[in-house]
Parts: sequence; C-alpha cells; structure tokens
Amino acid sequence: MGLEYATETKPHVMAPALWEEAPDSRLEARLPSGPLEQKWDRRKFDNRLIAPANRRRHTVIVVGTGLAGASAAAALGEQGYNVLAFFIHDSPRRAHSIAAQGGINAAKNYRNDGDSVYRLFYDTIKGGDYRAREANVYRLAQLSVNIIDQCVAQGVPFAREYGGMLETRSFGGAQVERTFYARGQTGQQLLLGAYQSMMRQVQLGTVTLHPRREMLDLVVVDGQARGIVVRNLLSGQIERYAGHAVLLCTGGYGTAYYLSTNAINSNVTAAWRAHKRGAFFANPCFTQIHPTCIPVSGEHQSKLTLMSESLRNNGRIWVPKKPGDRRPPDEIPEGERDYYLERKYPSFGNLVPRDVASRNAKEVCDEGRGVGESGLAVYLDFKDDISRLGKDVIRARYGNLFEMYERITGEDPYSTPMRIYPAIHYTMGGLWVDYNLMSTIPGLFVLGEANFSDHGANRLGASALMQGLADGYFIAPYTVADYLASARLPEVSPDAEPFRAAAAVVQARIDQLLGVRGDRTAHEIHRELGRVLWDHVGMSRSDAGLRRALTEISQLRQEFWERVIVPGSPDNQNQTLEYAGRVADYLEFAEVLTLDALHRRESCGGHFREESQTPEGEALRDDDHFTYVAAWEFTGVGAPPVLHREALEFEYAHPTQRSYK
Amino acid sequence: MVFDDRPNRTMTLHLLVWRQPNGQTHGKMVPYTAEGISPDMSFLEMLDVVNEGLIRKGEEPIAFDSDCREGICGSCALVVNGRAHGPDGGTTVCQLHMRRFQNGDTIAIEPWRARAFPVIKDLVVDRSAFDRIIAAGGYTSISVGGAPDANTTLIPKDTVEAAMDAAACIACGACVAQCKNASAALFTGAKISQLALLPQGAAERRRRALRMVRQMDAEGFGSCSWEGQCEAVCPKGIKITNIAKMVREYNRAATTGETS
Amino acid sequence: MATPSRTVSKSVLAPPAPPTQRRPYTSSVAPTRSYFNTSIGTKVLIGATGLLLFGYLILHLLGNLLVFLGPETFNSYSHLLIKNPLIVPVEIGLGAIFLVHIYKAVTNFIANRRARPVRYHRTAWTGRPSRKSLASSTMIFSGIIILVFVLIHLVQFKYGPEYVVAQGSSEAGVRDLYRLELEVFGNILNVVFYAFCMLVVGSHLWHGIASAFDSLGADHPRFTPLLLRVAKVVAAVIALGFMAIPFWVFFFARQGAVS
Repeated sequence: MGLEYATETKPHVMAPALWEEAPDSRLEARLPSGPLEQKWDRRKFDNRLIAPANRRRHTVIVVGTGLAGASAAAALGEQGYNVLAFFIHDSPRRAHSIAAQGGINAAKNYRNDGDSVYRLFYDTIKGGDYRAREANVYRLAQLSVNIIDQCVAQGVPFAREYGGMLETRSFGGAQVERTFYARGQTGQQLLLGAYQSMMRQVQLGTVTLHPRREMLDLVVVDGQARGIVVRNLLSGQIERYAGHAVLLCTGGYGTAYYLSTNAINSNVTAAWRAHKRGAFFANPCFTQIHPTCIPVSGEHQSKLTLMSESLRNNGRIWVPKKPGDRRPPDEIPEGERDYYLERKYPSFGNLVPRDVASRNAKEVCDEGRGVGESGLAVYLDFKDDISRLGKDVIRARYGNLFEMYERITGEDPYSTPMRIYPAIHYTMGGLWVDYNLMSTIPGLFVLGEANFSDHGANRLGASALMQGLADGYFIAPYTVADYLASARLPEVSPDAEPFRAAAAVVQARIDQLLGVRGDRTAHEIHRELGRVLWDHVGMSRSDAGLRRALTEISQLRQEFWERVIVPGSPDNQNQTLEYAGRVADYLEFAEVLTLDALHRRESCGGHFREESQTPEGEALRDDDHFTYVAAWEFTGVGAPPVLHREALEFEYAHPTQRSYK
Repeated sequence: MVFDDRPNRTMTLHLLVWRQPNGQTHGKMVPYTAEGISPDMSFLEMLDVVNEGLIRKGEEPIAFDSDCREGICGSCALVVNGRAHGPDGGTTVCQLHMRRFQNGDTIAIEPWRARAFPVIKDLVVDRSAFDRIIAAGGYTSISVGGAPDANTTLIPKDTVEAAMDAAACIACGACVAQCKNASAALFTGAKISQLALLPQGAAERRRRALRMVRQMDAEGFGSCSWEGQCEAVCPKGIKITNIAKMVREYNRAATTGETS
Repeated sequence: MATPSRTVSKSVLAPPAPPTQRRPYTSSVAPTRSYFNTSIGTKVLIGATGLLLFGYLILHLLGNLLVFLGPETFNSYSHLLIKNPLIVPVEIGLGAIFLVHIYKAVTNFIANRRARPVRYHRTAWTGRPSRKSLASSTMIFSGIIILVFVLIHLVQFKYGPEYVVAQGSSEAGVRDLYRLELEVFGNILNVVFYAFCMLVVGSHLWHGIASAFDSLGADHPRFTPLLLRVAKVVAAVIALGFMAIPFWVFFFARQGAVS
C-alpha cells in the first residue's frame, strides 16, 4: 500500500506491466442471503443497533452535503448521532445535486401503467448493461417508493395534476411514467428538502456544519477510518477531525474531463485521497455522456450546460444527409434531413438511452455532418411538436430551458432548432463499496455518486437523485449504526500520531504546489488533460488511443509539477491553490481511469471499446470475460495498481444484449 | 476537440473591480483591462481570462464565488454596474454573456454589500446568515421514516405551483444586494410562503414565521420598503407578494400568542 | 516536514461544548424582540399610522375645499371644528400618530442605513417590475420636509392671528380663517412654499399609500395591481387639491376680496 506522496515530482515511465492482478481478491460484498425481495429486510434485522441514549457518543463525519451527504447527515442527526458535516461551499445548499433538472424515479405505479419495484429493478440492471449488483439495485428500487413519501412530507413541491395527485412523466426512454419532478428544478428541490432537514438538526445541535472545508486526507488508525484532515478554505489552516466513522458523499469525477456538466468546483480529491489510503476505486471507466448539452463555443468555455433530457420527448434529432452542408437549418428541405435516431432505432427513436444517443451524435459529426460553426453539434428540432401541440404547451414544458438556451447561445429555439452535443455528465464508477456502502477501509462509507453505485455501466435518467437519497436517508443510517455497534472503536484523539502524520503530508503537498513557481496555470494543464481524456477516454475508446492517453497523462503530470504557478499565500483564501490541488489529483486519477478503460476490452453501457462492436456498430458486451466489478488498489503514483475483481452473478435479470432497434 | 476561434469578434473592456485582501482590511476599486474577450463568453469566463493573466504574472487573481455556472447553485454574486447579477433580469451573473456589452465599455464589479454579508475577500462574501435563517425554522419538522404515502394529502395544482414559485429561490442574496435597505425579506418570505402554502408545512407555520423573522432581524438585515428592486434582480423572479405573505404569517403568529 | 503552527486540531470526542461555541450556525441566540421592534412590526406601525394620517389628509382636504364656497361656509365649518369638545383628544391622538410615524420611520431609516455600512461604488435602478421611483427613494426626505411644513403650517394657521368675524348666531363671532388664508396666500412666497410642500406630500403619498397596505400584509393578486395605480391617482389628486387653494387665493379670490 503506497502512502508515499513524495514521488510526484519524479517523472516516471509506465511499468511494463500496466497493472497487476490480485492473486486472490479480498473483496467481500457482504450480500445478504435469501430471495431478492427479502435481502434488505433481512439485513436490516441482522444489523446491530445502538440504543438512543448512546448515539450521541458516536461521532460521524460526513464529507459533502449534496443529496447523499445532506440526507445522511439529517437522518443520522435525527437518530441522535453527533454528526460533523464538511463541505467546500459557503452553504450546504450549493452542492451540485442542485443542478439536476429532470426528475426522480420511483416505483409508485401511480399511473397504473405496469410499473413495479421489480420492473424498476429490472430496467436499472438492464440499463446498466448488467454490470451492477442485483441485490443493491433491488434495494434501490424498493426504497425509491419511500423517498417520494419522505420528500413530499418535507414540502418538496412536486408537480401535481388538477386533482391534487402527484404527476409523473416518462423519462430517458422508460416505458412507464415513473419520474416525479418539480419543474426543471427537481434536484434543487430535493436538495433543499435534505438541506432543510439537516439545518433542523443543526438547530437541534446534532449536526455541526463546517463550511468551506476541503477534505485533503483520510486518517486511518489501526486499519479503521477514524478521521479526516481538511483545509479551511478561508483561513488556510489545516484542521484535523476525529470520529468513529467517515461518510464520503463527495460526488463524481466528471470534471477530470475539464469540460463537463459538473460544477467547476466538483472534484475527485476527497475520494482520491481516500483511495490513496486504501479504498479501492471501482469501474472508473464507466462514465456517462449526456447527449443533450449546449455545444462548446470556444477555448474560453469553463463548463458545459446540460439541457434536460426530457427535451427528447418532444424534439426530433437530425443532421443534414450531405456531409459539409452549411446551409441554415430552415433552408434544408425535409428530404435532405437525416433523423438518424428514428431511422436506426424505430421503436425507441429519439428516446434511446444516453450512451446510444451520444455515440450516434459523435458518429454523424465524425462523418462531417455536424452542424453549427464548430461542426460539433446536431439539431434538436421542436418544429413538429410546436405545430402539433402549440407553442404554449411547449413553453409550459420547457420554457425555462428554452430561455436558458437562448441566453447562452443567443438563438431562439422556438424558431430555429437547438444545437446540442454530448458532454460528460455523470460517473457511474467510484469508490468500491459493499452492500452496506462500506469501502475496503472499515469505517469509511461512500454514498451517492462517489461510490461505484448501483448504476452499473450506465445510469438511467432520473436515477441519480434516487440513489443519492436512498443511500443517505434509508441505507447509511442502518449500516453505519451496525458498524458502530459491532466494530471495536477505541477513543482516538485528533492529536494522535496518525492525524499529525496525515496533516504533515497535506501540508507538504500544499508547500510543494506553491513551491513550483512555474509559468503555466493549473487551468491550462487541466484543459489539456480534459482534451486527452475526451479524445481517448470519451465516447469511443480504443486500445491504441488509451495507451496514448496513458503516456500523455504522465507527461502532463510531470509538466504540472515542473511548471505550475500558484500565486498567493497558503494562509488565507486562495482559490488558485484549491484548484491546483484538485488538478494534481486528477492527473493521478486519470491514469486509473484510463487503465480501467484499457483493461475492459468489451463495450458496455457508457464504455464503448471500438474493438468490441457488432457488425452494425453497436456496443458488444463480453459477458464471459467481463461480468465483474473492477476494483483498483493504489500502490503509488505512476506505479501499476492492483486489480481486484468482484464477480457479478445474475439470478433474476439474465443478461441479454441491449437492443433499442 | 475542435474549438472554433473567431478572433475578429473580440472586445476589450475596462474593468473596475473591488479588491480587498480580507475582512479585516479596507478594499478599493482597482482598474483592469480585459482583452480578447469573445462575445460568446459568459461574464465569469471573462473574469477567468483576466485571472489567468494575473496568475501568469504571479499576481493574486480576483477571488469570486462560482460553482455550477448554470444559474442554479446561487454561488455567484457580483454587482455589475450597480446591478446585482448584471444588466439582464431573471438570471445569475454566470449566465450573463459578454455579447451584452460593447467593445470599450467600462464595467464596475463589486461584491454584495450588506452588514449581514461581510466581505471575505475581493468579491467573496459570507452568506451564512441565510443558513441561520433556514436553521431557525425553514423546514417541516418531520424525520426520516414513517412519512405517509405521497398521495395521501391532495394538493391543488395551483397551490403547489405557487409554492414552487417561492421554492425556486437559490439563496444567492441578490435581493439583499440590490435592496437599498439590504433587506432579506424576499429570501425569508419565499421560504415562509412556500411552506405555509403546503399542507405539510402548515402545522408549524406560526412557529416558523416567528423564528425565521426573528433570526432575519438578528442578522442585521434591513426592513422592506416595497420598492421591489429585489424582485427585479431575482434570478428566479420571486415576487414580493411573498413578503406580504410573510407579514400576514408573522402577524397571525404574533397575535395568537405563539411563543418560541 | 510538519508545520504545527498552521495546524489546529478539533477534538470532537470531548464532551460537547456550550451551544454558542459549538454551533455557529444555530440561531437560538437570536433574542426575542417585542413585536413593534421587529422589522415587520416596525413597518406595520409605519404603515398603519401612515394610513391614518392619509385618512386625516382626505378629511382635511375636503374641509379646506369648502373655501371655494366662500367665507361664510368656510368659517362656519372651521368654527364647528374648533368648538367641538372632541377636537382636543382628536388632536392629541393625531399628534401621537404623527409622532409614532416619525419616530418609527426615522429609527427604521437609521437601522436600514446600518444594514449597509459600505455603499456601492456604482448604483443603478433596476427598472420593472421594481416600483422604485424618485418618490420611493426619498421617503425620509419628503417626510422631513412634511414635518417642517406641518410646523410652519400650524404656526401660520392654527396659532396664527386670531381674526374674528361676526357671523350667524354666534355672539362672539367666529374665527375668520378665510381672511387669514387670503392674507397668507396673498404673499407669493407663501404660495410657492405651499405648492412645493404639496408636491412633496404628493410624492410621499405616491409611494406611501400602496406600500402602507403592503406593510400591513394586505396583498391580493387582483386588487394590489389596481391599488398601485389608484394610489398614485389619489396621491396626485390630494396634492393638486391642496395646491389649488393657494393658487386660487392668489390669482382669483384675493382680487375678488380687494375689489
């Protein structure tokens, strides 16, 4: 296990063997026995409990206050634990969960249209291309029902029908209407519900907020996660906190790609530092590309803006049939347009899953049929539905999205088709966790997007919110309690040696960042890293490209540590320093992301390997060789990581090749 | 990835930016020149460009808060030419684009100014007062588990739409920034109003109104003068009718002998 | 390698510290204020007293307009008021309302100024849907001018020369306020001063009437937009109504009386 941080300055050559195989995997998923539908109930019953009077004596550290973190902090606080919540923002309510637009799935079957817990389970497993654990996914589907109840009780203003009942819609290709939504701001409203519940606990004294703190290391004492080291982003002080368990709820790593729909402060740092302390990173190559984003307009672009996928319900996607056709869209006659999704996938049409829609967009653009000035966009045209349903209906459904589009691009989507292009949106991979959401480090739990989650190789639309809240409200409170009740947890002081050592490592890295005094900004290098990842570890991946990416990443990392410039001091707010630290971690993380993509020589879900496709160019899974979770163990920066495999078994949902024809 | 550069359309702008090293020292407006600014850039991307230049020179870049850059997280908080979030109504400054400006314009950029929002550094302010107002009562006191089925209580569509209008608040603080009294009435009113409209929030509406208003006052915000500048700059278009609703909720609570 | 000076530790396993130290986010420290000292109670008082003063202003205007009907009507009306035994308590009440209005408005103004200790380098008006106007942004100044005006007005009329005229059944005669008006408004400086002050009153009402209702929480999706318009008309009518008297006196009534 490598805890050496001092190797970064040394340029290194990739080892001849890019990774090592674990002789015998020590991954224990701790799945409950029994039939699928009873597993969670059994686990809940088998879990040990902590008496209410004793809970206050247990300190739980929650890092991140998005849907998963805020809901976990609230739920644990309600039970009486002493919760310390850390977040990088000025307010917990700013976590990026707030940006989720579309909705949240729940197997309520309010529509009487054939939905059920089992169907949501099945759709999620299938959507994830059979790379998720059945037991986890079934539990998620079961809990989806409770989430809606909980949120409504919190005062989340979900859309309703005139009769006063909750409204639902079909989302992202689902054949049942199971998606609940609050205008285009579902993530915001759910986050505010969790945030408010957490603030209630703050008022009651069970939850203590630590704003503007960035977790920079995990402290492991005697093999157990016992605390964290954070930097106070205002004072620059390195602070140490001890507790009995640590919950990482720090989101995904989409900003490794520089341009993504994630917030610009979203980062992998907390997860990566935990990985360096021994938490395995699972399936990092499972990244999701969202098909409906506003295209890049230039080098200056700092992030990409997502347009809700629900737009595909009423918009038709097309490009000109002729490559290089630069005519404005209204001058291209119907006969010369290629509604390629409708043509290739007659039964799903424009509603094919995200990865299929994204890859097809890339394909037509690669053929030179892309539109807009950059040629990296396809049209999403509302003309037909505006004339069929009327402008008012379209306005009622998408008014705010259309406004946002117009504000960013200066074009009116009511009269001219939108231009869209895929962008990195969500990362299914993350820290490996067992059924109890505990990582390979005892006492370190990982919730929400930060874990490798229940979405397999691809996430269904409107399922991220569901997973974050299920983890936080309904799973962690049970499993964390079980851990606290059953583990031997001697008292540790934040002044103990492991804390001081971790703080020293953090301090050394900060000093190192400030000490380079080069001539390149962290933004520039991040942008280059993003380009490498987007080109080679993006929508379409090949052996040669991935190998090239590995070389380029390691060169960039070397360049970073030789040439980065970070002005200012470490003793006060220094946004450049914060950012540079995150880029440094991405430069390490990108390697395992690429390696994972290289080692998985099959196409599945969001991971498309050019070597593995059907004659028609569709993704081809290789179940014989890759029906497993790849969990990577850190051995040192640039050193070959160790691959552990957790075999996946499908007793209920039997793998079939996905087809959306 | 191919980026298209359109060099001929770039602009040069003269910025006047509030620089203040920390909360304990005085700040001042400092002039900067932003060159090579594309009309397609967002306002914050323009600042990114300025900052990149400063970093390369080894100078401290202009500190400002931003995160989602799509107008929903509420982090960004700049007063641009005397107007919170800039000249466009109904949007945050991250969604303001440079095509809104002309080559050669002078742009003054200042932080939110309010006693309750002390400046931390440059354009970054401390808005934790808003969190404390929410902590005082901006929730329904229900715990996880045992919530009844979501359709048990029917809520008329119009009611839930009105609640959603109020719930759309992103707590950016533009209302406070623009108000001549630095009043947080719109922020507080929106939450009180949202939860009072919904049956789930009605149970503790009185206690909530009393506590949230009390906290709002304790934070040092001013009172409402009904000029509605807050509504005009609110990125989510939250209406000042929510303030009137807050007054009614508060008066009802205060006159029925509700305590705590 | 370690730099302990920059490192602090937080023991979270120790017994909980007192709430104020431990939970900076907790708002339980907020003291309870009496209702009328809260921001809402303050504005309720300002609004309520403002509306009462507005009501008084309407009555005062209606009474004053009797001047157009000639000296007899006007003087009998004022006599009726002066000799009414209720006039003293009403005046005291009115004065109290006026004082409360001023006191709360001034303290509110000071508190509001304190809420923004550092001013903006550049300020701008936002435009619609904001109701901000010259009138709304100068309420404290129009208020101060009105206060000064009221004092002068009282000195000139209520405590002015006690002309007496024999009229009707009253043996001692009645106070000839009509003549006083002719005298005061015979002076062009007074006419200009009163006209200016009535513009200020109009300005105060322009914003004050509608926002007084808002301050009381009276808001309605249909009636409030209507009120916003009607209030401005009423403000203008009141200002012009009052203003009409000095002009009429100066240009018409005085000549008539002299000839």
